[in-house]
Amino acid sequence: MSDNKYKLKDWQDLPKGGVIPEGGNAADYETGTWRTKRPVWKEENCIHCMTCWTFCPEEAYKLRDGETKSGKPRKEIKEVDYYHCKGCGLCAKECPINKKGDKTAIDMHHEET
Amino acid sequence: MAEAMRQINPEVVAAFPITPSTQVIEDFAKFVADARVDTELVTVESEHSAMSACIGASLSGARAMTATSSQGLALMWEMLYIASSMRQPIMMTLVNRALAGGINIHCDHGDSMGARDAGWIQIYSENNQEAYDNMVMAPAIAENAGVRLPIMVCQDGFIISHSIETMQIEDDEGVRSFIGERLTEHSLLDTDNPASWGALDLADYYIEHKRAQIDAMANAKTVIQEVSERFNEQFGRKYELFESYRLEDAERVIVAISSVSGEIKQTIDTLREKGEKVGLLKIRVFRPFPYDEIREALKNAGIVAVLDRSASFGAYGPLFGEIRTALADLENPPMTYNRTFGLGGRETFPSDIADIFAESERYLQGGKIEKVSDILNVRGD
Repeated sequence: MSDNKYKLKDWQDLPKGGVIPEGGNAADYETGTWRTKRPVWKEENCIHCMTCWTFCPEEAYKLRDGETKSGKPRKEIKEVDYYHCKGCGLCAKECPINKKGDKTAIDMHHEET
Repeated sequence: MAEAMRQINPEVVAAFPITPSTQVIEDFAKFVADARVDTELVTVESEHSAMSACIGASLSGARAMTATSSQGLALMWEMLYIASSMRQPIMMTLVNRALAGGINIHCDHGDSMGARDAGWIQIYSENNQEAYDNMVMAPAIAENAGVRLPIMVCQDGFIISHSIETMQIEDDEGVRSFIGERLTEHSLLDTDNPASWGALDLADYYIEHKRAQIDAMANAKTVIQEVSERFNEQFGRKYELFESYRLEDAERVIVAISSVSGEIKQTIDTLREKGEKVGLLKIRVFRPFPYDEIREALKNAGIVAVLDRSASFGAYGPLFGEIRTALADLENPPMTYNRTFGLGGRETFPSDIADIFAESERYLQGGKIEKVSDILNVRGD
């Protein structure tokens, strides 16, 4: 991602009719600026059930390769991608650890203003 | 019009019947049934769908056409803007008809004048020959790489659409070589090169896209002249941005659009025999509006009466506004006034035109416009 790619273009340089002549570039769009609350993932309490990853509308939960206690390979939560996370809070609401109530794996903190 | 559409042989026609444009699609449907065209005729459930289908077809690279009138155009409204902002060279036969309320099937220009800011090229036709010729020119204008805008070819409902006239239809090969193939940069069906249309376009880019549309419309003026010149070379009928009829030395001029020009020309011929210096400027291209050329053509006139066949409630007629704007930059602009006529098909006769020229003479001698704006042939005034 060079800086040049994100420089706003002049009208002469735009494809006619607002067509976007490439696929998959929604990933380039920074929706993180929309956020008023920030999900903070707590690795020590996470059971890697993937519920947050499943519900996240922005695919903001990033994964890594890991393994179970018995050594089987599995995907694990790695981090939250704050470039895309809009702060909707679905992950914290759906997290089964949060639902049980004695501790939390995802906390929503107000963004500093 | 159906004949021109047959010769253009578009991949898709999507239309919903509405008087008086119905006849165009009825005739075209016969061509489809008789396999004289390769067109997919989509009989949609509304005009909104007709325009939507045309947009989808055009995005895939097809030539797409439709025909409508009045309420049909009104129902297409939001999609008209989508077509032009997506820069799709869709072609429409618009058979001008008055808008309801007060259900009326007859001619006025309220429908197309309301759509004048929708980003479509608008070309008006005085008679059937012009309607045919303008439609033959339409693909070459709309699909030009510097233009890429939708185009509506307008003709007066019933007065022209349901009249029988002698006219010249060119041979199919000649028309097809004239219009050529449509070239597209992106196609919905090109899955190897995926693209997105109709994306969100906010304050960071919307105005740049509109700026490009303004530029395309400015280019259209040049392209219309080039295509008209090429048409003249191939088919021998000359068209310009507007028609000047005995305008060269005219002191008193009428500016008008479409079929009423016939009455005006007839009246001018009669008055010219008596030595009166009268003339007509007949608008052909209304969008883009040829301000500079019209200013040049009218700079020596003493007085100009502008006939509007639509009402802009709370304002002067749309054509009058354009003409006054065009003339405002002259050091000594001609006197100008506005007459609204023919709403909902109210008849206009040569005697009405003669009255206007007489009124112009009175204003010119007196040096004063007594009534800037008025309505012809209305009871009660």
